[in-house]
Amino acid sequence: MTRAGSKWITFALWVLFSLMTLVPIWWMFLVSVKQRADLFGKPSFLLNIGRMTWDNYAIVITNPAFQKYMLNSLIVSTANAALVCALGLLAAYAMSRYRMKGKDNIFFWVLTNRMAPPAAFLLPLYLLFTGVFSVGEWSLFDTRIGLILLYCVLNLPFAFWLLQGIIDGIPAELDEAAYVDGASTWQVLRTVIIPLAGPGIAVTGILTWVFAWNEYLFASTLTSVNARTITTGLAEFVTVTGTNWGQMAAVAMLTLLPAALVLALVQKHIVAGLTFGAVKG
Amino acid sequence: MASVTLQSVRKNWGSFEALKSLDLHIPDGEFLVLLGPSGCGKSTTMRIIAGLEEVTSGKLLFGQEDVTNVHPRRRNVAMVFQNYALYPHMTVAENIGYPLKVTRVDKAKAREQVLDAARKVDLTDYLQRLPKDLSGGQRQRVALARALVRDPKVFLLDEPLSNLDAKLRVAMRAEIKHLQRTIGVTMIYVTHDQIEAMTLADRIVLMNKGAIQQIGTPDEIYDDPANLFVAGFIGSPPMNFVTGEVVDGVFRAPGVTVPGSPGRGPATLGFRAEDVTLAPAGAFQGTVFEVEPTGEATYLVVEVGGARAMLRTDKKHRPAIGSPVAFDVPASQCLFFNPADGLRIRRPVPHLQQVTA
Ligand SMILES: Nc1ncnc2c1ncn2[C@@H]1O[C@H](COP(=O)(O)OP(=O)(O)OP(=O)(O)O)[C@@H](O)[C@H]1O
Ligand SMILES: [Mg+2]
Repeated sequence: MTRAGSKWITFALWVLFSLMTLVPIWWMFLVSVKQRADLFGKPSFLLNIGRMTWDNYAIVITNPAFQKYMLNSLIVSTANAALVCALGLLAAYAMSRYRMKGKDNIFFWVLTNRMAPPAAFLLPLYLLFTGVFSVGEWSLFDTRIGLILLYCVLNLPFAFWLLQGIIDGIPAELDEAAYVDGASTWQVLRTVIIPLAGPGIAVTGILTWVFAWNEYLFASTLTSVNARTITTGLAEFVTVTGTNWGQMAAVAMLTLLPAALVLALVQKHIVAGLTFGAVKG
Repeated sequence: MASVTLQSVRKNWGSFEALKSLDLHIPDGEFLVLLGPSGCGKSTTMRIIAGLEEVTSGKLLFGQEDVTNVHPRRRNVAMVFQNYALYPHMTVAENIGYPLKVTRVDKAKAREQVLDAARKVDLTDYLQRLPKDLSGGQRQRVALARALVRDPKVFLLDEPLSNLDAKLRVAMRAEIKHLQRTIGVTMIYVTHDQIEAMTLADRIVLMNKGAIQQIGTPDEIYDDPANLFVAGFIGSPPMNFVTGEVVDGVFRAPGVTVPGSPGRGPATLGFRAEDVTLAPAGAFQGTVFEVEPTGEATYLVVEVGGARAMLRTDKKHRPAIGSPVAFDVPASQCLFFNPADGLRIRRPVPHLQQVTA
């Protein structure tokens, strides 16, 4: 095959994959900016960018339920990411630097926690959240702290695995030099490890944030009114009187927005972070 | 500043004995060099003194104080690592000032001390650079300055010059020696380069396989080696060895007859290339195997007594390969070793000889 030919194939594949990922988003965007009546026309509707309206967004944003869900999502995702990063970093540091019995086994065991299908834990968790983790009237069910803790459990193995690779990539001699220079363990972490693992910690934070933001299964089962997140709130637009497609699409677009923004801003660091341990400096 | 004492220090990793009962006293202000082949336990000894490695048994004292179980941050030693271990995200000034920052020295005072240390190693123009923008020699000086900025009890340097090119190494060697002399600190210096050891040390500790082979001044180690290992390790070219047998005070090997030899039975005779004088009727008779001119001298590789030996001769001397060669070595420069355990067989001290005679 000629060079030009293979170039065209590459280009065609590239276009195809772009369309596959971007068309649904475009579609959703169009739905969110159209009147209800316009939605059920011909497929050419996908190319019709006339007659846009922001009404759906206005309605959704002023909806107190939407505001609450959005806030819940932000709080849960952010708190989860912060907690997971802090715990993951400490665990990864200990694992990377200290000698302990059964180190490899611990690592494997932690990772296998993530291999079981999450749905298998659903019923036990529901029972725990409603019946066992409760004090008097109060239980973990339908609380933000409940979701935060649960996501921590789900995210920690991943964060741990990612961060350990990153800390392993930081020469232990730097810690040793710092100790000899008179630093305490906490000072070593704060002045040497955290700055050097910075990109890796950021990546871990973002990926766990996005995971919590997108999580549906547990959020829909373990919350009802107070702690409902935006992904589960989406489903509420399917009502007995029919589905309000325009508003639902607007909510979906708004849900997409923070994650897309965050990812766009740090995309460069993600690549840097994921390859951090590969080349020793 | 303090003296350092190791008392029966052992270090095992599982069943592997990295250090076999080390006993060593380093007086205050001494420049001590740990010398030995790769893997002999030099770095391990150093790391034990710094507290980065725990001893399996034994004791470590700074002055009179037992520091065996003291955390490295509380030992107040300064260490220069083999690959410098500079903090890559900090500027030169921050690197040098790090020990002061973590021990909460007053900021203004710290800045003063950093400048002072930077001046000592001639780095004042580079204070705002990151380590990655420095040359190898400059990095090495940053590591030195980071150690100098404090007032440590002991200075530890683990092969600090091994990453430098030959020319810079010679220059830095002089610098380190001068520094140690001016501040008078106890310094322990690891190297596997014997020239470095000979030029720097007040005393050399020669190690092999986790055990001390000999402790002494460079002259003692060179002129009066305790065993075959030391004799063969020190000197360039290394000492020549011929194995033979001593009968009635005469050492004999094929083509070699040396009277006045101590002991009896199998022995290894050692002599150095530079102690040789060519003499047609010499005690050593061999043939020229190869000729190696170096510019300042000509070295002959000679087959003698069933072994090969290096002889240092005049730079103009160019014998034909395969031609016979005869030479003498002064009796005082002939060293004898027991081939079984490698230990020196010493001549009886003269006055004792008279008593027995
Ligand atoms: N963490 C460890 N676990 C097991 N064995 C080790 C460990 N560290 C060092 N050793 C072994 O201990 C011995 C001494 O090592 P050490 O680093 O002290 O050698 P060295 O004299 O500094 O050598 P070099 O000149 O190559 O630096 C070596 O055989 C090494 O393999
Ligand atoms: Mg070493």
